[in-house]
Amino acid sequence: MDFRYSQDQLDLIDAAANVLSGENTVERLRAFAADPTTICKSENSLWQQFAELGLFGFMAPESLGGLAQPLEVMVGVAESAGYVGLPEPLIEVAGISVPLLNELGFEDELTAVALGELSVGVISALQTYQSNAHFHDSFLVAGAGVDNLQSRSSLKLTPCNSIDPLRQLTRVELALKQNALADRANLHGAVLSAAQLLGLSRRMIDMSVEYAKERKQFGKPIGSFQAIKHHLANAYTQLEFARPMVQLAALQGGVAVHNAKIAAIDTATLIAETAIQVHGGMGYTYEVDLHLFMKRAWALSAEWGDRNYHMRKLEQYLFTDGATLGASQTFS
Amino acid sequence: MNINFTQEQQRFRAEVRAWLADNVPAERLPSFDTAEGFELHREWEKKLAAGNWGNVNWPIEYGGRGLDLISWLIFEEEYYRADAPLRVSQNGIFLLAPTIMEFGSDEQKARFLPPMAAGDEIWAQAWSEPGAGSDMAAITSKAERDGDHYVITGQKTWSSRAVFADWCFGLFRTEAGSERHKGLSKILVPLDSHGLTRRPIAQLDGDPGFAELFFDEVRVPVANLLGPEHGGWGVAMATAGFERGLLLRSPARFQEAAARLVRLYQSHKHRLASGVGEQVVQAWMNAERFCAATYQLVARVQAGASISSESSANKLFWSEMDKHLHRTAMSIMGAQAELQEGLDAIDNGRWLDGYMFSLAGPIYAGTNEVQRNILAERVLGLPR
Repeated sequence: MDFRYSQDQLDLIDAAANVLSGENTVERLRAFAADPTTICKSENSLWQQFAELGLFGFMAPESLGGLAQPLEVMVGVAESAGYVGLPEPLIEVAGISVPLLNELGFEDELTAVALGELSVGVISALQTYQSNAHFHDSFLVAGAGVDNLQSRSSLKLTPCNSIDPLRQLTRVELALKQNALADRANLHGAVLSAAQLLGLSRRMIDMSVEYAKERKQFGKPIGSFQAIKHHLANAYTQLEFARPMVQLAALQGGVAVHNAKIAAIDTATLIAETAIQVHGGMGYTYEVDLHLFMKRAWALSAEWGDRNYHMRKLEQYLFTDGATLGASQTFS
Repeated sequence: MNINFTQEQQRFRAEVRAWLADNVPAERLPSFDTAEGFELHREWEKKLAAGNWGNVNWPIEYGGRGLDLISWLIFEEEYYRADAPLRVSQNGIFLLAPTIMEFGSDEQKARFLPPMAAGDEIWAQAWSEPGAGSDMAAITSKAERDGDHYVITGQKTWSSRAVFADWCFGLFRTEAGSERHKGLSKILVPLDSHGLTRRPIAQLDGDPGFAELFFDEVRVPVANLLGPEHGGWGVAMATAGFERGLLLRSPARFQEAAARLVRLYQSHKHRLASGVGEQVVQAWMNAERFCAATYQLVARVQAGASISSESSANKLFWSEMDKHLHRTAMSIMGAQAELQEGLDAIDNGRWLDGYMFSLAGPIYAGTNEVQRNILAERVLGLPR
């Protein structure tokens, strides 16, 4: 029992975090927001770097050129992707598509994905909308009686408008029923969207702290006032108690996933609202960067099962299924 | 990451479980805030000590088993699972003992730890004063040096269990003319000392759960100084870290309460509004999150990390969680919620007791407002 990342795992997470924060700056995000059509694969040096660093193959088997990392380490990478507000669907490819391709034995495709030559997305019953689907050459369609790869051109994807300017959204015109593969996609999707929400939350706290240190009213930085301090301390506390749950969900799956996703949703919602309040009127503008992270948090909160979905699962577990409860159950 | 218990840990769990099954009193003991209950809880401490179960993570020479903190968590899980009596010695074993182990001399360790472990000496805390609550550096009670004794004069308050306890660990101003957090010392004082008067304070439930302590030239040997003279603030902060951080409230307590809450909900849900179930799920989720976070904290501590300002987040989380959990239970019980014991009282008023106690959580061990200031200033770096 040693519920910590190993040094090797931390090194991998740090390496990914350094690239993400070094390359995906707020200037880059602002430029994308000004012209969302520029969010694409062509002439995208960061997308190329993901391949060079082995990030696409992060969870692929070593025999297929991957790093064979488990989901809990991918959680650390997803948290960093959230922190920088990464628009590219790296986490979806590396954390959801790759493990599923591996499970279905698509070895050639897997090798190509790890090399960055092919991009594969995932479509399942829980994902009504796809973000930046144009990055993907094909999709793994998970659902009862389907479970196969389909090229993007063969699918009907209808454009929709997201409030997040960095999510070019399409609706998937497919009626799918949940099955084992879709459950698997769901597990990874819920855990990794939760992890990104943690990163977004941390970013919004950091932005708010910086703003509260600089912005002066009544002759003092507003961050010296207890009203502001207490909001941010509550936000920080909720985040610190959500993170271990998300890591545990990655290790355990099962009901821990529902708890983790709700923890991340509630944390991100509280922190987004806290952040806008701390920023005052500036927080309500398009000019301050906060909105880029806040809107992503809104969007990811409903991906791979919204709060209602996960809450109903837990109500079922606690009140109907006769769950084993109490101390000593969490890790057994 | 490894979240599997070793075979040794599983064997230890089975051993704890078996001993508790044989030894935990069949009936819940009366509250340790009554004279009768206090002595029954002391007897229970002696029984624990006789089985060498009182402090599994203490070194063997002081009455422990020399086990790590994971084993301590396992012990706590089994302890709450068995619904064993609350620890009347908690101020001593969870707060003072780690401080003695860190700051005490060998003589002090040998003098104070074994009787504490045995339940022969039960400890109370004497820090707060009428004018020094959240602002603890405003302490005015003084301990003046007179040869090889300190002469203590002043007043302490909110001293939990001091009505019936044997000793207290206090914070006193030893340096004449010193101000704020300078010039304070931590001194151990027998509660039956000449010149020391205890005035019981009835807490919310009517029982004398804490006391005011009046010191009128109480003489204490200098050997009872714990840590450096005039350096008591640092010693006290270390104790506060233990209190807020880890030892005082292990996750098992809340997980068991959440399990009881689910059962309470099940037996009342036919008459409840639709949103109540979600609050019950929330209480369960909180307890699970606290458990996950605690195992991670323990892993870090065992790898050499020390708990500092982040312990304030811990205290905020468990105290708010406890209040929410018990508030939810109170809302489920409807008209029966006010029944303290006897006819119609669900679980003999246990939820009501728990709710009242949970209201103290955001106040003791440093108010939650102070914890938020600590987090904002020392962790997030906001200006003072």
